[in-house]
Amino acid sequence: MTDTLHYRLPWQSGSVYPGAHPGQMVGAGQLFKRHEPLIASPDPRRLDLRASVLDPFSGYRVRVYQQHSIVNVYLIADLSASMGYADKQQILIRFLLTAAHSAFAYGDKFGFIGCTEHMEPRWVLPACRHSGRVSALAKQLASVTFSGSANGLQQGVSFLPAERSLVFLLSDCHFSLARLSAVLASLQGHDVIPLVLWHQAEYAALPNWGLIAFQDMENRATRTLFMRPALRQKITAAYRQRQDQLKHVFRTFGSEPLFITENDSLQTINRHLQQRVA
Amino acid sequence: MNLAVNSPWVLSGLLLALLPLFNNGMRPSPAPWLALIPDDALSVFIACGLRLCAMAVIAGLVLGMAGLHRTEQSRERIGHGAHIVLLLDRSSSMDNSFAGSAPNGADESKATAARRLLTDFVKQRQSDLIGVAEYSTAPLFVMPLTENKAAVQAAIAATATPALGFTHVGKGLGMALSLFEQPSVTGSRIVVLVSDGAAAIDHDSEQKLRLWFKQQQVRLYWIFLRTAGSPGIFDQPEDSRDDNAGAMPERYLHKFFLGLGSSYQAYEAESPDALKRAIADINQLENLPMHYVERIPKQDLSTLCYSVATLLLLILLGAKFCEIRR
Repeated sequence: MTDTLHYRLPWQSGSVYPGAHPGQMVGAGQLFKRHEPLIASPDPRRLDLRASVLDPFSGYRVRVYQQHSIVNVYLIADLSASMGYADKQQILIRFLLTAAHSAFAYGDKFGFIGCTEHMEPRWVLPACRHSGRVSALAKQLASVTFSGSANGLQQGVSFLPAERSLVFLLSDCHFSLARLSAVLASLQGHDVIPLVLWHQAEYAALPNWGLIAFQDMENRATRTLFMRPALRQKITAAYRQRQDQLKHVFRTFGSEPLFITENDSLQTINRHLQQRVA
Repeated sequence: MNLAVNSPWVLSGLLLALLPLFNNGMRPSPAPWLALIPDDALSVFIACGLRLCAMAVIAGLVLGMAGLHRTEQSRERIGHGAHIVLLLDRSSSMDNSFAGSAPNGADESKATAARRLLTDFVKQRQSDLIGVAEYSTAPLFVMPLTENKAAVQAAIAATATPALGFTHVGKGLGMALSLFEQPSVTGSRIVVLVSDGAAAIDHDSEQKLRLWFKQQQVRLYWIFLRTAGSPGIFDQPEDSRDDNAGAMPERYLHKFFLGLGSSYQAYEAESPDALKRAIADINQLENLPMHYVERIPKQDLSTLCYSVATLLLLILLGAKFCEIRR
């Protein structure tokens, strides 16, 4: 996944630094924003003579243009034990590298907040433009085994800056809907793109017949299941119902989730990113 | 149901039966979130069943190793029949044929005929208690009163060994009567005396036998296997000088038995057929209701424990083959 994520903003970035996204600042840009008095923006090259003549107060009017600004891109990742299922961890790391690469390519800053049982400083990367730190973080992520639950998500949100940022929320959402609502509520000030990562083997690729002892990765509880086609259908239906519930919660907070599996490529995510702007 | 074990300390292994509560023996497959998997009653039932199977297997094996058995028990029963003591003559003359010669291929010895017919007799009398005593020079205690027909038949078959010495009928009768000492008086009590000769009983023994026959209320059947040419029970002496116990012991023994006061019947059998008729006669006569205690021997249950454990192990093995690991 060395391709870039073509993320665009359906809102204007408040950052003062010039970048690639539509911003609220005026300055060097191509898109006319408004007229201002000469005293407010003393740039005689941008004097609009027609507007000055038409000004009832006979003041000089200067055209100002919208400046493209940078935006802070954050990846909030769920590092609970369930994210260690199958190759979810590799998918997470690949996505981390891709997102960082894309952010740097746009000239944006990239930050990472990994949430485990409790917040751990080693999984927090403040917004920066250092690809070396990102790859070091990725290497560190690859070497650990995820454990515990995703309780840290709520605390992790407090590491975000005050200004509106673009936040990718990568999780499998294997926790209660109430907690998800709480997390999303505290993310209200940001532009959240939820990516729900489910593995096919969790629910779709189950065997038709046989005995199987499942052990929960987070609370270690075990359950023995007698697999049969009827039960398999029930499990698939339960996951589908869960998907609907998650969609409902995310939409309540104004974001459309993207459910990705291990087979989905970057194109799927890019298509989703483009759809939300259109 | 009185259960007991041979080595009680092995029972401490029963604690091991709790192991399946902590480990279900299946390799767990990781699941991201079990709460998403819907409840399934059948799976819960099967999981509990397998756990119980595993516990029962361990318990069965431990009980088997401890040697679980059911202790000897007695059961009261009421049937038709009699308490019969077979009193067999083991004097060496019993090994001769009815003709008085050593048996050859054509005719069997008196002992063999008696053995064969008594075995049949025992077979027919299914609800009787039968004991066996023998006598020759001294009385032989063979088998107490028992309802175990196989044991009685084996005891009768054991008389096939060569016979011994002389005939001491008084002590033999004493031994036969002593077999009745234990059980209470229910049903009829019979002594079947099978002999081919008689001997004089001394005066003291006569007194005692009279008393015992009265006390025990025993009926006596005497099957006299008469050898051709020898004096019979009912023979009158030709010469009054021969009319004494020394010369004609059979006659005097018969007279003594008649004077016992209890019911007495004598059969004189001169051939195997006559013997057969005599036994059939007894078989018909003695069928009074009786109350007795049947003893059930100790039963070893460890084999049962092991087979149940094996069966359950096979079920568990089948479940293991059905197991899926991911």
